[in-house]
Amino acid sequence: MIHTVSQGIITGILMGAIYALIALGLSIVFGIMNVTNFAHGDFVMLSMYLSYAVGSALAWDAVATPLITAPLLFIFGFITYYLLIDRTLRQMYVVQLAVTVGLQILLRSLALIVWQAQPRALQYSIIQGNIQIAGFEILTSRLISAIISLIFIAGLAYFLNKTWAGRAMRAASDDLDAASLMGVNYHKTYALTFAIGSSITALAGGLLMSFQQTDPVGGVRFGLLSWAVLALAGLGSLPGLIVAGIIVGVVESLTVSFFDPRSRLLGVYAIFILVLWLRPRGLFGRR
Amino acid sequence: MNFKKYFNQQNTFILIGLVIALVIPQAFKSSQYVMLLITTVLLYAILASAWNIIGGMAGQLDLAAAAYLGLGAFTTGTLLIQWNITPWVGMFLGGLIAMGLAILIGFPLFGFKVKELWYAISSSALVVVLQSLFMMWNEVGGPTEKYLPSGSSPWYSLRFNTYVPYYYIMVTILVVVILINRWIRYSKLGYSLLALGEDEDAVEVLGVNSQLSKLKALAIYAFICGVVGGLYACIYGYVHPAFFDTSMSMEITILGIVGGMGFIYGPAMAAIVMVSFREFLRASLGSQLAGLYLAVYAIILIVVALFQPRGIAPLFERGLKKIQTYFAELKRGHKADA
Amino acid sequence: MLKVADLTKKFGNLIAVNCASFEVNRGEIIGLIGPNGAGKTTLFNAISGLYKPEGGTITFKGMNITGWLPHKICKLGMSRTFQVTRAFTHMTVEDTVRVGAYNRYNEKNVQEKVDQVVKICDLTDIRKRVCSDLGLASLRKVELARALATEPEMLLLDEAGAGLNATELETFMNLIKKLNQENKITFCVVEHVMQMVMGLCQQIVVLDSGEIIASGTPNQISTNARVIEAYLGKRAVHVRD
Ligand SMILES: Nc1ncnc2c1ncn2[C@@H]1O[C@H](COP(=O)(O)OP(=O)(O)OP(=O)(O)O)[C@@H](O)[C@H]1O
Ligand SMILES: [Mg+2]
Repeated sequence: MIHTVSQGIITGILMGAIYALIALGLSIVFGIMNVTNFAHGDFVMLSMYLSYAVGSALAWDAVATPLITAPLLFIFGFITYYLLIDRTLRQMYVVQLAVTVGLQILLRSLALIVWQAQPRALQYSIIQGNIQIAGFEILTSRLISAIISLIFIAGLAYFLNKTWAGRAMRAASDDLDAASLMGVNYHKTYALTFAIGSSITALAGGLLMSFQQTDPVGGVRFGLLSWAVLALAGLGSLPGLIVAGIIVGVVESLTVSFFDPRSRLLGVYAIFILVLWLRPRGLFGRR
Repeated sequence: MNFKKYFNQQNTFILIGLVIALVIPQAFKSSQYVMLLITTVLLYAILASAWNIIGGMAGQLDLAAAAYLGLGAFTTGTLLIQWNITPWVGMFLGGLIAMGLAILIGFPLFGFKVKELWYAISSSALVVVLQSLFMMWNEVGGPTEKYLPSGSSPWYSLRFNTYVPYYYIMVTILVVVILINRWIRYSKLGYSLLALGEDEDAVEVLGVNSQLSKLKALAIYAFICGVVGGLYACIYGYVHPAFFDTSMSMEITILGIVGGMGFIYGPAMAAIVMVSFREFLRASLGSQLAGLYLAVYAIILIVVALFQPRGIAPLFERGLKKIQTYFAELKRGHKADA
Repeated sequence: MLKVADLTKKFGNLIAVNCASFEVNRGEIIGLIGPNGAGKTTLFNAISGLYKPEGGTITFKGMNITGWLPHKICKLGMSRTFQVTRAFTHMTVEDTVRVGAYNRYNEKNVQEKVDQVVKICDLTDIRKRVCSDLGLASLRKVELARALATEPEMLLLDEAGAGLNATELETFMNLIKKLNQENKITFCVVEHVMQMVMGLCQQIVVLDSGEIIASGTPNQISTNARVIEAYLGKRAVHVRD
């Protein structure tokens, strides 16, 4: 019993780190631009498919595919920003909702056109296999993915605090008008932010593909998970994001091991709703 | 005689609409496919019009249409399959159950002032959650379709081998839903909803209980979706957890927005135009590539949302005004001639 | 009529209103003044139920309304306007007024009330206009009108005169005086425009940094040393008057 719980918690923590990474992409877009991208989960889905395409075409390992897919997603985010998001900034809020939900339908149908409905997975990963630690079984692929996620989140925190581009992004988040007075072109800054947010999903997609399969409607799950993480974390605290990701991961993993694999989102939904009721600003949020 | 008073423009339009609605099945009776199409279009028109109450008027971006639809479908289906209870009762009960769940969730959500983005996401999560619940609940749902029995009398079990009766029921429901929309819009509830959609604090200091108003709107919307869900199950002849469809919910929301938030006829019009168009695309592109029609459709939705942010209803209104002035000038011209 | 006792409202560590106590008698026009950030709006928000205070009691018409929901307080007979106008932008002037009028009227007789209020507030010319098309002076009138339509016994006006020119201000003041005398409405007004405060109010309460530092008649206040200090000391940041 205790062993099963601990095993569930360990698996959950490892997944949670990746969820934090996925939510990070959403968090900087939402936190800095105040743009709600309902298609974020489908960006993850798209990234996973691209990883699949690159991995199977070049016979690369899934973990290596972000080397190609991240720049692709960066460009994709850039184009999406200028084609769609930029035009919604000065519009009513519902327009943004309609446009990003439309984008969601579009991405799903594109995945359906290119890769058909059946799930796709990459075959071998060099980091496949298990490690045994103190009687617990740990999938190497998940462990390494989690470590990469954490390193990346820390790196991004450094980027936001220490570099000019990062400071410009945060300035734009605090006050649009003041930022433009300071000579920050917010269109460019926003485009950069959105592109970075998108390319983060590419990294997450590559990591996920090392132990998961993907299908055209898989985006819903990642969308929900990342909004749940964000609701839990609140905005503006990266450590909070990691903790929230881990909570969500653990809850999901425990639901799966004690209840039913099909109910994996139920526990997450429950904490999401509870947080909305009781802590609308998240557990760690500054705003 | 007061004949002239009733023969105004709006009533004329409604009359023409009704005549067309009655004639359509006669024209397309031979093609079941076309009738199914038209029925589907009506289904979306009803759902989008119902959404207008919670979304367009109250400004709550609800993404849970399919959750309530699915509940209605499963209630109706299960009652018919297991106890042979007629869908007429099932539809009504389904509506009530959907409404009950909506109130259960809406009461705390609105009480805690969850709105905008977070309301949208929690409602969209509801669809997913119900889907997994019904997937696990094998007696009622489960991974395989549960078929509705045909029974002895088609009117008892609402199972016809033609779509024409469904069509008429759908038209009736659509008319009723639009009437409900009109009634709400010009009543205390409607004014309160429109105002609270814009500024909740400001409306509360004017004596409006915003939580209760939103809850009423949500309950009516959920009830309509539930009732239509029952019909949906009868039309397709089975129930399946895939009825809890996030894409469908999103589409309803987009139709409501694209139709023109708060315009009574907007969402129905958007549904008729866009869903017909979607089905046309499906018919002409579907055979070549699965998903292509949806991609084209999504692009069109995005373009409309971007370039006609107030929706297409204002466009129609402007068009109507033009026709009016044209006819008015024609009349004046006639008089001048004489 | 309204009695506020030891009211305290905090935002995190910031104490926006600190143990404020004052009383408003029926039929009065009372002025609430103080430098920017003194906590006037916060005090209004707490009284009208939009904020839950951390301490103290609010008594209105003999009832303890502390912690009541805003719509209940409105039903009891209190309404307000906002400092930054919060119009229902897509609604017409008439419909905006109707939202308030439903507070005491039903479908049958609501139109009468709307017509009456529209006339009193001199909105007849613009009654069919959409609020997003209106200028500030009209918006302030619409906000007053919709609050008036709820048939309050007491009205809280938050800087209703800000941004108006001299003639607009004059008509606005006359309207308030008229409502006070003819409709027997009690007013509590927050105001930076001294001309308006001195011209309207029988009583003045001065707030500074969340605390009430003085109260009395306009004459008493204008010679009170603490008030002068509070105002002169903050002259540099005090841009609005
Ligand atoms: N929602 C809030 N959250 C945090 N702090 C707030 C909030 N509202 C007001 N404050 C702070 O409380 C203090 C009092 O603000 P308040 O708006 O009541 O002042 P005021 O007297 O109305 O000023 P003004 O003349 O500028 O309208 C200010 O320091 C303000 O920054
Ligand atoms: Mg103020």
